[in-house]
Amino acid sequence: MLTVVKNQMRVCALAVKYNIMREMLNKVTFLTNILFMIFNNATFIVQWVILLRLREDVGGYTMREVMLLWGLAASSFGLSHLLFSRVFSLPNLIISGKLDAYLVQPKNVLLSVMTSATSASAIGDFLYGVLVICIFCFSVKRLLLFLLFTVIAALIMTAFALLMGSLTFWFVRAEMFGNHMIGSAISFATYPDGIFKGIVRFLLYSVLPVGMAIYHPVHIMMVFDWRKFFAVLGYLVLLSVAAVFVFYRGLRRYSSSSLMESGRV
Amino acid sequence: MKKYMVIYRSVLIENLQYAANIAMGFISYFMIIFVFIHLWNYMYAAPDDLIAGYTKEQMIWYVMITEMIWFGARSSTIREQVSADIRGGNIAYLVNKPYYYPLYILAKYTGEWNIQLSMYIGLTIVIGITMVGGIPNFHWITIVAVVPCIILGMTIHAVFKLCISMLSFWIEDANPFQWLYDKLILVVGTIFPVEIFPVALQPMLKLTPIYTVCYGPAKLIVDFSVEKYLEILLAQVLYLGFGGIILFWLYGKGGQKLYVNGG
Repeated sequence: MLTVVKNQMRVCALAVKYNIMREMLNKVTFLTNILFMIFNNATFIVQWVILLRLREDVGGYTMREVMLLWGLAASSFGLSHLLFSRVFSLPNLIISGKLDAYLVQPKNVLLSVMTSATSASAIGDFLYGVLVICIFCFSVKRLLLFLLFTVIAALIMTAFALLMGSLTFWFVRAEMFGNHMIGSAISFATYPDGIFKGIVRFLLYSVLPVGMAIYHPVHIMMVFDWRKFFAVLGYLVLLSVAAVFVFYRGLRRYSSSSLMESGRV
Repeated sequence: MKKYMVIYRSVLIENLQYAANIAMGFISYFMIIFVFIHLWNYMYAAPDDLIAGYTKEQMIWYVMITEMIWFGARSSTIREQVSADIRGGNIAYLVNKPYYYPLYILAKYTGEWNIQLSMYIGLTIVIGITMVGGIPNFHWITIVAVVPCIILGMTIHAVFKLCISMLSFWIEDANPFQWLYDKLILVVGTIFPVEIFPVALQPMLKLTPIYTVCYGPAKLIVDFSVEKYLEILLAQVLYLGFGGIILFWLYGKGGQKLYVNGG
């Protein structure tokens, strides 16, 4: 059992490695993508400088907390796209019947799909988050916590994208719905939770994964709290189990389009 | 001109068939507006406060209108299609068609945004009136005056996006430049009116596309004045002329490169 898991992990690691190597074929484009994504994210600092000139804090967040929020959102989004980019285009694979190539492989279908693509610009997102932490609120403990929560948040975002994408097995329009839900989650993730109240706040901590993936970790990085920490871990486990369950239930409904294409999709 | 009208009409009819798909984008628009309503509600400590000369209602309407323009102007034609045509070599086939390629793309894009923007205008009015209330001192006649500004703004946006896409003649992937332009419009242009920036920066911002694409139409709707109207209209005409010259020059230069490389 342990050997099977070890082999599967090795295959996944190799898949990610070759995906990145493929992206690096054109080095100029690869580096431009990374650098411009860092600049792209940095433009939002202007927004917060302006807002924090108007008030001392926004939703209880000063510049330091805002940067922590932005850093975690960018890094987790980046890591998720770097390792599991294909999850975000899963609906397209399902609609066009391109899952065939993965179904015939002797390894786990879901992991093969998830690790079959990457995005060079996601490296820029990931690096931006780390840079922001180092510049605005560095401490060794916070950096280690940040890296841990980046992994956890990336897994939560991936599980959410998988859950949304798997709905396409039942409804074709779920593709657009899922994309908008993921986009909305990212929009909420870059604004302090203090500006949301009541039912909205409840939804952000339950239906949309923003509260557990981003807000709670930011609070924990400021003031450590074991209860919040276990709540985040519990949410990750529950969401992942639900996403994997829905994917495999949906896969039973999948029908091939007999698409003939060379190589992996 | 007639052939471009035919292209425009055919895209318009085609897009009408996909109105339901466009309506799915309402989710993202609603979520973003929802965030901004909460944000500005928080920023205005008292309901009658003024920030940069804007009341809370004016500020939220300003953001809703700029976001409406942003969502209405979203098009894969001016971004992905042009880059893909150039990178994939399809451009070699398209230049032989009996139309001028940049104008063909502009006609297609106009057909797309006409439908998209009309739908988003309806949604903006519904959200605005139900969640924010009416725009203070608003007169319906303003809409008639602002229509040319919106049309010019959308066209200027397309011209600059096309200029960036034309860079694909020289570099493999123009997407990073598209991100920067988008973020310039999105962060500096849609979220805040120009008046909120430090006074020293305002003249510089007026020289960017933000002033003609987002700020102009939105400012005129929330706070109309004839003087501002003429100033923005003049800036838009100059900007369109300038952008058009750059676009045709880039296309001409890129076309020569295509000939040298054999397509």
